[in-house]
Amino acid sequence: MAQTRSGSKLIWDIAAYAVLILLAFICIFPILWTLLTSVKVEEDIVTREMVYLPTRFTFEWYVRLWNQSGYPALVINSLITTSVTVLICLLTGTIASYAFARFHFPGRTQLMLGYLVVRMFPAVLMIIPLFVVMQQVGLLDSSVGLAVAYTSFLLPLFVWMLKGFFDAAPKELESAARIDGSTRIGAMLGIVIPIARNGLVATCLFVAIAAWNEYLFALMLTTSQGSRTWPVGLQLMVGEFQLPWGMLAAGGMISILPVVVLFAIVQRVMVAGITTGAVKG
Amino acid sequence: MSRTSYSATSSAPLSVWDAINPVRMLGELSETRYWMYVLLLPSALLITAVVLYPTLYGMQMSFREMRLNRPDLGTDWVGSKHYARMLADPIFWVSLRNTAVWATSSIVLEFVIGLIAALALNRNLPGTKMLAVVILLPYFLPNVVAGHMWALMLDPRLGVINDVLVRLGWLDSYKAWFADPATAMAAAIVVETWHSFPFFTLLIMAGLKSIPSDLYKAADIDGAGPLAQLRLITLPMLKTIIAAAVILRVIGLVNSPDLLLILTSGGPGRSTQVLSLYAFQMAYKDFNFGYAGALSVVMFVLLMGFAYIYIRLAKVNQD
Repeated sequence: MAQTRSGSKLIWDIAAYAVLILLAFICIFPILWTLLTSVKVEEDIVTREMVYLPTRFTFEWYVRLWNQSGYPALVINSLITTSVTVLICLLTGTIASYAFARFHFPGRTQLMLGYLVVRMFPAVLMIIPLFVVMQQVGLLDSSVGLAVAYTSFLLPLFVWMLKGFFDAAPKELESAARIDGSTRIGAMLGIVIPIARNGLVATCLFVAIAAWNEYLFALMLTTSQGSRTWPVGLQLMVGEFQLPWGMLAAGGMISILPVVVLFAIVQRVMVAGITTGAVKG
Repeated sequence: MSRTSYSATSSAPLSVWDAINPVRMLGELSETRYWMYVLLLPSALLITAVVLYPTLYGMQMSFREMRLNRPDLGTDWVGSKHYARMLADPIFWVSLRNTAVWATSSIVLEFVIGLIAALALNRNLPGTKMLAVVILLPYFLPNVVAGHMWALMLDPRLGVINDVLVRLGWLDSYKAWFADPATAMAAAIVVETWHSFPFFTLLIMAGLKSIPSDLYKAADIDGAGPLAQLRLITLPMLKTIIAAAVILRVIGLVNSPDLLLILTSGGPGRSTQVLSLYAFQMAYKDFNFGYAGALSVVMFVLLMGFAYIYIRLAKVNQD
């Protein structure tokens, strides 16, 4: 009996390994193939006979992308938009999240539900009026305007995700500080936020990745080189040149590099945060 | 950030500086019972400005004439003109059907693959932590790059997937997946599934951790096999989290036209035209903001209806 059980466990373990290796391969292959394409020479990309393992390598696509396509400007615009988005979320979202995590007050449940429900609003339904409003206040086609638009879906996410980390921070240290004569704001800034700083960093990075990746709002709300972000610029290249696969691949690799690196570093805390926020929601 | 600078219990007499010291004033404000509302005010104002106001504005726009490229038409109220036009618009109905196909197929595939991955990862076998990072990665990649990667692999002339399928003998010649109305939607669903199944893996993994292991031990003693345990313990215990994940994903799938916009722009013909894409193009290409607003209002109402019915059903089953 015990033997058959451990035998069946072994079979399921092997099955689990097989499934995971297959899925990991499916997940990583498109990325590796794009990386490979980005260092192939033109004749090895556009060819009758598929080249799986190239013998010639080149950084020509990266050089051309960087020098000819205005990509540095796109990356800088994206960096500005992403930073402003994170900053807005950090300044307004952290204290809101703290209030939800620590205080019970009339309207708390309704307000928290409200922060959840706004995520259901169709992007298109908001983008169109946002276009008109941004035009009226002169924020159309600006990095700050785009960042403000991003907070429409990223701020509620930020508040919910961070609340999970604040909930997990022990209340005792805060109470001790209060007994020592610290004010509420003193305890919040001096005790609670430092304890939850890993969660705060992970939440900020999650929002940063989402803002860095965003395409639809950027397409609608930016119209010139002055504020256009990299996803829009990369997509426009498809129309400008005759399918420049090498350059598209190089652009893709440069753009996802920060995402992959950040994700690999903070994925454990970040994953915990996304899931606690969702489980409780 | 010393503690004394925030101290509210200093007994020294108030100086002029004390009266206007912003740090001290904030400290005192934080002791009042309105403090939480002060903390919530900035974000609530911001959300009102960038979510609630635009949404209401968009709803009233759907009852107006609003063409940015035809200022001569003005912005008069036109009642339900746009909604009437929608009922007679064949593209609307095609988009509605495509939206249903797109959302349903993607959800089913993403859920099944996401569940399998989560169950396999939950066995905590040695070495699978690295695999977990790789498996979760696609969800964090931008739509634009995910779309380009797959467009490159499925390219009718240079696509590696075509090459592999031909070599395996499953395909006679290279196929233009996105140019054939019969395969364009299926190909797009494959890309979408690749991109978003990790979302289900993420949430289900978290859910699995919260199931007490005693339940499985008891089932083992009762002689229940792994499949019976999945059906009788795991899935029922995960019901809430699965319901939440499905709702969030359906909202994402119905609301965001990004991936289809990048891969096919709704073509060939109208074979991958979905409602969100139609509304976006109506605004972005035709500048008909009134009709685009009406389309997104209908989408919003349909989503709310879906969420309501779905939550009701999930709850009824629980009782």
